[in-house]
Amino acid sequence: MSTVTPTQPSTSRASFVPTGSGLSFTGLLRSETIKLWSLRSTYWTYSLVIVAALGFGVLMSFALSATAGLDPATGAPMPMESAQIFVIASTSGLALGQLIVAVLGVLSISGEYSSGMIKSTLTAVPNRLPALWAKVIVLFVFTFLIGLVSVVGAFLAAVPRLGVENITASLFDVDVLLPLLGNVLFLALIAVFAVGIGTIVRSSAGGIATVLGILLLLPTVVALFSMLVEWVNDIVPFLFTVAGSEMVYPNTMESWQAFLVVIAWVAVSLGTAALLLKRRDA
Amino acid sequence: MIQAQSLTKHYGSKTAVDSVDFTVQPGKVTGFLGPNGAGKSTTMRMIVGLDRPSAGSVIVNGKPYHEHKAPLREVGVLLDAKAVHTGRSAYNHLRAMAATHNIPTSRVHEVINLTGLESVARKRVGGFSLGMGQRLGIAAALLGDPATLILDEPVNGLDPEGVQWVRKLTKQLAAEGRTVLLSSHLMSEMALTADHIIVLGRGRVIADASVSDIIASAAQNTVRVRTPHTAALAALLAQADVTITNVEQDVLEISGLTVNEIGDRAAAAQISLHELSAVSASLEDAYMKLTQNEVEYRTGDTSSRTETEAAR
Repeated sequence: MSTVTPTQPSTSRASFVPTGSGLSFTGLLRSETIKLWSLRSTYWTYSLVIVAALGFGVLMSFALSATAGLDPATGAPMPMESAQIFVIASTSGLALGQLIVAVLGVLSISGEYSSGMIKSTLTAVPNRLPALWAKVIVLFVFTFLIGLVSVVGAFLAAVPRLGVENITASLFDVDVLLPLLGNVLFLALIAVFAVGIGTIVRSSAGGIATVLGILLLLPTVVALFSMLVEWVNDIVPFLFTVAGSEMVYPNTMESWQAFLVVIAWVAVSLGTAALLLKRRDA
Repeated sequence: MIQAQSLTKHYGSKTAVDSVDFTVQPGKVTGFLGPNGAGKSTTMRMIVGLDRPSAGSVIVNGKPYHEHKAPLREVGVLLDAKAVHTGRSAYNHLRAMAATHNIPTSRVHEVINLTGLESVARKRVGGFSLGMGQRLGIAAALLGDPATLILDEPVNGLDPEGVQWVRKLTKQLAAEGRTVLLSSHLMSEMALTADHIIVLGRGRVIADASVSDIIASAAQNTVRVRTPHTAALAALLAQADVTITNVEQDVLEISGLTVNEIGDRAAAAQISLHELSAVSASLEDAYMKLTQNEVEYRTGDTSSRTETEAAR
């Protein structure tokens, strides 16, 4: 312990001049990567995302192989696009994954507030916003990669059962690859959206409740109101989750329009978060 | 160097820091004293930009903290509450902090060794004792080898060996020409460590001077006398500007006369003395005197000093 030997106050009392490297954005990205991967909860949540995707991939391959070839109305055989079958099997588990990464996104910042870590973060980065952007980028990149592993894994997990029914598709078929990438992109954007909510609310319980409310509850509430008030129906496509799915399966609007709606949600969340982070006392 | 100018912070209708002016000089240890709620922690938080001043300004090493290109190399700070994620190991916490400034991992190991955290560095911070948490906080403050150190209650929860280590460390850092500002409630510790004292009370600076000046200004020179003939001695010494208190059955405390005067007069009157000593004031006495009207959260019995102290 006593590695420091006391020295008598020296006669020269010139001010100490600090030297060495300074703050940099690549440093912040490294710092946020270390932060993300030095918590056990990250391993748990990302593992769950992958396991859910694989599990649903296998289950759906059985379910779809039993019904896919049949016209639901007549029960007669019907040519259904095998690419679509594979996309459904590969991405059905992501519905659960979306909720998991939403929680991870909130916790990545609310955990800093509840533990006091935020004070360390903000003294290291007194301009504050670069720390938020670094966290957002790191979480986006890793969630995207985990999502990619999930859907590709689920695709491969679905191959054996669907193959028995002679349903085959290539992963690199545009009709397969684009919907998969779209789903993965939305997954990563949900995590980023949740970081914004966590920053605004600054509490784990409040942040998780808010994000899950927007993802799960809001569509139901709007659906209920649309039964009472006609025009509420027009709002439906602009809901976060609905727009997220329209990005991949365009219905009432084009894919790119749905994408813009999703980006708007994320921008509002992060913009508000940035404004409050900059203004509030830590 | 830390320079505060009319620094003010309101929380709603409450004024935590009220137009404070002070300068913390490099090359010496400056102690920050004040009762609970006097505004010490708020002032420290404003120095590093965690809280925004309501009015006035504070600059560190010539600039507002957030304008520095390498904040952790300018200021190392230990705040009162834990500022570490409980799920992360001490090593990873320091590594994450170091990464922001591209500080090499070798420096992380250095501060771990310096603070004696080797054996627990890989353990999660959630299980740390108060003392270990303090050591980690000090390690984080030292990470950037900063020119200015701000330590809020650094010896809080440390064992006697740790307290001594902090004393040596802060003195050494100041001797290297760094600015060191530390707060503590341990008056005796502050008297040993600090060269200069700034006392806050209810958000205002009520004293800003060297330790010896502070003690001298507040000290009442009293003389303690033990004698079997207290009544006779009291009668002998009684005069207008002399106060005599009978503190024990055979002990008097006398102010207004020197040790020599009392000794000579007692000898002339042939009153035997069993003890005759000057009572020197301590920093604690001086502090109590300075802040007696500034205490915001007073304990029930203010006449008992030990009780007030225990409540801190």
